[in-house]
Amino acid sequence: MAAAALSWALRAARQVLPSSCPGQVRSYYVDWRMLRDVKRRKMAYEYADERLRINAIRKNSILPKELQEVADKEIAALPRDSCPVRIRNRCVLTSRPRGVKRRWRLSRIVFRHFADHAQMSGVQRAMW
Amino acid sequence: TSSVLSKDKDKSAASKDGTPEGAAKRQEDGAETPKQQLLDIIGSMKVEVSYRKKLQQLKASENKKQVVHKLEGLDSEGSVPLGTTEDTQRLNPELVKAASAVASSLPRNKKQTESELLAQLRRHEETTDKQKKGGTINIRNVISEMAVKRQSPEQWGARISGRISLQLDEDGQGTRPGRSSTQMDSRSLKVGKRLNIFTKASTEPEHALKTVSSPTIWDLEFAKEVAAVTAQPPRNGFEEMIQWTKEGILWEFPIDNEVGMEDDAEFHEHIFLDKHLEGFPKEGPIRHFMELVICGLSKNPYLSVKQKVEHIEWFQKYFEEKKELLQEI
Repeated sequence: MAAAALSWALRAARQVLPSSCPGQVRSYYVDWRMLRDVKRRKMAYEYADERLRINAIRKNSILPKELQEVADKEIAALPRDSCPVRIRNRCVLTSRPRGVKRRWRLSRIVFRHFADHAQMSGVQRAMW
Repeated sequence: TSSVLSKDKDKSAASKDGTPEGAAKRQEDGAETPKQQLLDIIGSMKVEVSYRKKLQQLKASENKKQVVHKLEGLDSEGSVPLGTTEDTQRLNPELVKAASAVASSLPRNKKQTESELLAQLRRHEETTDKQKKGGTINIRNVISEMAVKRQSPEQWGARISGRISLQLDEDGQGTRPGRSSTQMDSRSLKVGKRLNIFTKASTEPEHALKTVSSPTIWDLEFAKEVAAVTAQPPRNGFEEMIQWTKEGILWEFPIDNEVGMEDDAEFHEHIFLDKHLEGFPKEGPIRHFMELVICGLSKNPYLSVKQKVEHIEWFQKYFEEKKELLQEI
């Protein structure tokens, strides 16, 4: 865990900023897993309509079963990365697969780091 | 101008065809360049030159008349030769010589003709002197030549009412003044000889099209650079918010839920999708299925009409392909 935290801190040294844009600019994905996840997302977006239509045929009690079986085979023939189930909501900054809060798309460690430095808008340490 | 006048007089005195010759020469000179033409036109518009021409014409006609008179009657003018000797000193000696030559060329009463010519010349000199000084005679002549146009009382009334309406119209709408100006002028704007002062600027729209159609990448980059350099950091929170709104970070208030979602189709195009079902068989499970599809699509507010139609078309294609399979069943 400490190693992961350190690794992202080390990797923080990124490209030179163009003068117009303030803040950090990332030109690479954090690691290959993140890149694969990105590819899956893109493909899922492409095939979303088709999958929806074929599934509408499959999940049906009106159409004949033979048609539905054909539809089953068709959808299985689509590329594997096109299904949305394979997408993993990773942390955007560290590519951590677990402990990611959906609202901020950040892993818990990064979230805590930024919140403690008062860089998360509207986030405060809880005390009651 | 005196030298020119004397030249003209020489021409006219030497021969009766002087004026047409002079005019012809002038015309020939004018025809060489358009500038000369223009100058001639402007010159002809001047009163003095026309007056000069008229005087010359008058002189020629008077010469002819007096010659005729001389031929007919003799004793009418006897006292004229006495007064001429004093006035000839004012005139050009060349002119005097020319007058004497003309008189000698004529058949009868050389002295009288000579005296009359000299009298005319004197008169001309007097008038040119007066012209140089003030020129009141010219204006009188001009005004006498100008004819007063009689306006009917109806036109009068219309024009007055037009003027009043112009004054009342404070907004100054374009149609009213334009119409009244064209109505009021006795001479319309488009009638008349072309002056050819201005050349047609027909190449302008082409240039404009050229510049618009080719903004190169370098131009875009330069524009971006300029914008980046001239962009000052925000002085206060308002300017910061403005900048964020421009960038798209901050939404525009009051919040519009349909930003970016431009749907031009009416509600009936979203709901009544039956017309797209024409390609399907009218009975059977497929029809039943498609009606369900349409029901679901009509209730979907997130899709555009185009997307819904695409869905239906895909189903149509799919079932077309599976027709053989379906017929087996």
